[in-house]
Amino acid sequence: MRGAPRAGVASLVALLVAGAAARAQAPATPAPEPEPEQEDVPSENDSEGYTPPSEGAGAPSSVVINGYIDVGWADAQGDGTSFAPGDTRIPADYGVDTFAPAVNSRGDVASTNSHGLFTNGFLPHSVGIGGRPSFLINSVVADLKYTAPSAPLTFFTRLVALPRFATDPGADATHVLVEQAFGRLVPFDSLELALAVGKFDSVFGIEYLDNQANIRTGITPSLVARYTTGQSVGAKLFYRLQLAPIWSALSINMAATNSGTFVDALQTPDISLTGVPVGSVRVGYELNLPKVQVKAGGSGMYGVRNDQSDRAARQHAVGADLRVALFGLYLNAEYVRIDEDSGGPKSNDSGSFMFSSEFHGRGFYGQLAYALAVDAGPLHKITPYARYEQRHAWFEGFTPITVARITGGVRFDLWESLIVKGEYLVNQERSGAPQVANNVLTTSVVYSW
Amino acid sequence: MIERSASSRPRVALLAAAIFALAPLATAHAKSGEWLGEEMPLPLAVKTAQDLAVKAVAEKQYLIFNLLAGGKLAWDAGEFATAAAKWEQLLRVPGLDPEIERVIRPLAVAARERSGEKAPPVPPVSAAPAGGAHEEAPSPRAYRERVLPVAVSGTVSGGGSAGPGGAVVWLRRANGETPRPAPAKGKVISQRGKAFVPHVLAVPVGTTVDFRNDDQIFHNVFSLAKPNDFDTGLYKQGGSYPQTFKKPGAVQLLCNIHSSMIGYVYVVDSPWYAQADGSGAFTIRGVPPGEYEIEVWHESSSKPTKQHLAVGADGVRALELRVGGDRRPPAFVPDKSGKPRQSHLGY
Repeated sequence: MRGAPRAGVASLVALLVAGAAARAQAPATPAPEPEPEQEDVPSENDSEGYTPPSEGAGAPSSVVINGYIDVGWADAQGDGTSFAPGDTRIPADYGVDTFAPAVNSRGDVASTNSHGLFTNGFLPHSVGIGGRPSFLINSVVADLKYTAPSAPLTFFTRLVALPRFATDPGADATHVLVEQAFGRLVPFDSLELALAVGKFDSVFGIEYLDNQANIRTGITPSLVARYTTGQSVGAKLFYRLQLAPIWSALSINMAATNSGTFVDALQTPDISLTGVPVGSVRVGYELNLPKVQVKAGGSGMYGVRNDQSDRAARQHAVGADLRVALFGLYLNAEYVRIDEDSGGPKSNDSGSFMFSSEFHGRGFYGQLAYALAVDAGPLHKITPYARYEQRHAWFEGFTPITVARITGGVRFDLWESLIVKGEYLVNQERSGAPQVANNVLTTSVVYSW
Repeated sequence: MIERSASSRPRVALLAAAIFALAPLATAHAKSGEWLGEEMPLPLAVKTAQDLAVKAVAEKQYLIFNLLAGGKLAWDAGEFATAAAKWEQLLRVPGLDPEIERVIRPLAVAARERSGEKAPPVPPVSAAPAGGAHEEAPSPRAYRERVLPVAVSGTVSGGGSAGPGGAVVWLRRANGETPRPAPAKGKVISQRGKAFVPHVLAVPVGTTVDFRNDDQIFHNVFSLAKPNDFDTGLYKQGGSYPQTFKKPGAVQLLCNIHSSMIGYVYVVDSPWYAQADGSGAFTIRGVPPGEYEIEVWHESSSKPTKQHLAVGADGVRALELRVGGDRRPPAFVPDKSGKPRQSHLGY
């Protein structure tokens, strides 16, 4: 019984598909293939979106903890310092740039060992590896931010653990630094105005904006970062005015603090010895086009450093900065001029120093980087960069020194939270300081959480 | 063999007559962009069990005819995707005669190849059990009932401390092409209280979202998520900026002025999608029964959740899905040049 209908259906099929079969077997003469017109299917599903509640389950946490760990490997030439064998001038740190052989993001150098020569406190922190290559734990950073749910208040704390924190060779202590701790109030909904009180980043220049290892393009800070990237205790005001028709903004950032903007190696403790604050300000202009961003500013600083015992001894600095970002290309440049009056003794971790006042410094850097987006598994960005910088400085009565540095490196961004960087620093003593082998090869791996 | 051939002649004649009779009607429908439904156009009275059996057989043969001829007409018109779809559907008719399969399967493959689309796997026709093929195979009505749209509902869990709320759940056909969704209309994301409201919005591809500033200060909205990257520029209170999202995927929304503002648009290329509410509950409507890949995206998960899902005639209820909670909000959101910002600075 089943054979008959099968034959009939087969005949029907043969009738219907004869032409089709012929075409299928004759690809040499294909029929015109019009673009298939796909119709849009109206969806019965329409989402109104989701916004988490302000309180209760699923609400954004008021407390956010982030941080990063920065480990690396570094190899410095010579003995890891800028001190030249046979140079017996004292203070030894006035005749060279002790900050030159930097190995990490904090500007820590390979060594500050002066081999018994007297130094007067113008020294960076040291990782104490001398001229021996070594793996390093550069820093462990934890940020805690609390945002008040019912008031325009934010509180922020940044703790930095600095392993091998030492100015003495061979020291192996871990130093925990309260690098930032401040409260910020945004009093008006209609204004971009913020007031902050506590210990916070400098307002001088721009390098402080990326002074953390997980933000900075390269590894080491510039030769002038020692003057501009420190944190001070005081009060700060920020205001910005948007100029929407021309995609621009003007901003002012000003602070009154116990100290200037020197890095912590040059200015402890946080408290002021004279009670005279340091005023600092940056006036900025921003151009924010879709593919081009320009930020330019001028900075000034005037006052008495917290470690200065003579309230008449003022420090004053001016600076100019520029950042340009276009189509993945980043140009950062900054100029700084700083002068200090003569004054009384200064106090810091290493003691009290009589001759550390009346200092003058000028310096600049320019850095070019290109962020190349790639799609190679976890690797999503490669950024080669190069920086040139120069510093000219002297203490009154001592020989001015001029040094320069050429830095080249590359940064790899992997996944969302891992950065691998490597760079080479060519340090050059141009005048006033003896030539010394103090180039540095350093690498850094930064994991953020 | 002789007897079989002889007995088949009347049937061939009958079916041929049917083709000639219905072909003009079919052609007319085809030209007008339609095609006969799978419903039997002639009312067949059912008074006895025998009537019911006859009607079931007739409807099935009519369905087979429709798919067979519909594919042929589409092929002749150069509509190879349609031809392939018709013939692939035909090959899925339960209890289909192997002779038809033998002829149609290569044609379906050829049509699919010419359409330029990937051929979905069509399982071989299962042999009908002896003596009971027509009784056990579903009737065309039952077959059609199986393709009536249904709902897929369930609950998403996970998402870490943010919870599952806002998870975007969508379906893609496992065997065959997922239809292109029509763009949604009237979608708005407001900037209010220095936040994006809603925080996460799922839209079909091609949807235009209006970004509206409801704050008293200027805002900007930009995204670096290629290929949906965009930049609205600055606009003040009451202003809005329309942005059309043409490609599927997650689009992170940021403000170049306020580094604390983060939101998401998730663009789906399927009409079958939903967003989980705060408890994780979701419902996707209008889903034809079939085999699907279900996918879930959540801002707190570094990888989307994917799994196979069979949707039956009754839909799917109480589906349990889980998303990761391993991805935290970025600590340093970039500005629109890609440079990370320290949000604690407030600028």
